[in-house]
Amino acid sequence: MDYLDRYREIVPDYDAFQAIQCLPLYNSARINTLKIKRENLLERLEEGGVLFQSFPWYPLGLKLDIESPGKLLENLLGYIHIQEELSMVPPLVLDPQPGESVLDLCASPGSKTTEISQMMENRGLVIANEPSLARVSPLRSNCERLGAINVAITRYDGRNFPRGLFDRVLVDAPCSSEGRERRGPGVLSRCSTERSLDLQVLQIGLLKNALRLTKPGGVVVYSTCTYAPEENELVVQEALGEAEEFRLEKVCIPGLLECPGITEWNGKRLNDDLSCTARYYPHINDTGGFYVAKIIKN
Amino acid sequence: MSPRSSRIRNIFEPLDKSLIAKLWQDRFGIPEQAFSGCKFFRKARSIWVISDVDLPRLSYETIGMRIMSCKDRPWKPTTSALQVFGRYAAKNLIHLNREEAMIFLEGSSQGIESDCEPGYVVVFYRGDVLGCGLYSHGKLISQIPKERRMASTVESETCPD
Ligand SMILES: C[S@@+](CC[C@H](N)C(=O)[O-])C[C@H]1O[C@@H](n2cnc3c(N)ncnc32)[C@H](O)[C@@H]1O
Repeated sequence: MDYLDRYREIVPDYDAFQAIQCLPLYNSARINTLKIKRENLLERLEEGGVLFQSFPWYPLGLKLDIESPGKLLENLLGYIHIQEELSMVPPLVLDPQPGESVLDLCASPGSKTTEISQMMENRGLVIANEPSLARVSPLRSNCERLGAINVAITRYDGRNFPRGLFDRVLVDAPCSSEGRERRGPGVLSRCSTERSLDLQVLQIGLLKNALRLTKPGGVVVYSTCTYAPEENELVVQEALGEAEEFRLEKVCIPGLLECPGITEWNGKRLNDDLSCTARYYPHINDTGGFYVAKIIKN
Repeated sequence: MSPRSSRIRNIFEPLDKSLIAKLWQDRFGIPEQAFSGCKFFRKARSIWVISDVDLPRLSYETIGMRIMSCKDRPWKPTTSALQVFGRYAAKNLIHLNREEAMIFLEGSSQGIESDCEPGYVVVFYRGDVLGCGLYSHGKLISQIPKERRMASTVESETCPD
């Protein structure tokens, strides 16, 4: 876990950050409004004696005090989807509207795809792209279980996704997943700067293509579940380049505390606007870790 | 023309909505309005439903949700599709009690008295559509796909028959 020491300078209250890594994360789920109303779902859980708590910042998010929430009938029937708390953030920042055309460039297993689908009330179109054949089937079965019928699946390398003019594009990029340590201990032991730099090349390619595929006036959200600036701010800075065409918009979810994106790393100054992007740390909201950037194409 | 009689091709081809709606109307009494805002495609022997939008020219793995298979006769609705459209059903539906529902969700067969026509039925428990069953000669055979089944609660106890 010493690997995290490289973030000592950028993470507030570093000791608490380090200490919380060995505390497992609670189970959580999202209510699937494509199939059930929130109040009906809550009533069912109460009747079934399942202890839960709504997220203070998102009424459709629930902490579940139960060992295997996947076995609940409500999950089998697609009334809820087991999803980590912070994973519900990027779709909210993307803010898709019913009837729009949305691309989810790195989609499997579809937690965010289906959240987008429900925000769009099953109208319009979500293209869920996932190149890995093995990962298409969980994506597909989640969409089917949750009753999403506005989703079509493609299998391109996101860097070469060929065409389209989307209102909104989500790039929930493959990353080193440092923010998942509380979920799957051992994640950190596989992290290294070299690995982050390898992933960076892919991430920049994905984000650049996403920017190209977006309509003027459209929105791109870039997210990872990692802390490494190499995979976060540095990717956004590099993909946006000097172009006047794009601007960063402040990421802020009322009720959830974020830290501003960093503007300096390893003695190197970064673009000041990167402070509009958001870093979510586990010890601040008792969650995992995430990074989210929102880009507007002028 | 039934969707089965047409030639089999391995690409998504648009299908007339009224054709599909009629099949669902005939078997389950589901009105065509249940499919408003939807359009249909066929690929090989499956039918897919998606929101009514213009699809960009891309190579697709899936288009919306697979709602039925025409591989065998009679055509078979998917459990996913019944969970979305099955609540509009007016016939060929079976309501289970708690114990029966659990057996059904485990993927097993059981004896059930019903005046349904033999064939595929919409299976309910309280207000919920559980999925697709095959009913014939007083027996209900669960068609719930493996990954959507409830893990068996009674372990070694297998049902007779
Ligand atoms: C962080 S996961 C996505 C999680 C998903 N958005 C969700 O919320 O359920 C990243 C995904 O990107 C996929 N991926 C890997 N290389 C890719 C590429 N070149 N283009 C697009 N996606 C890629 C991985 O297979 C993986 O499924």
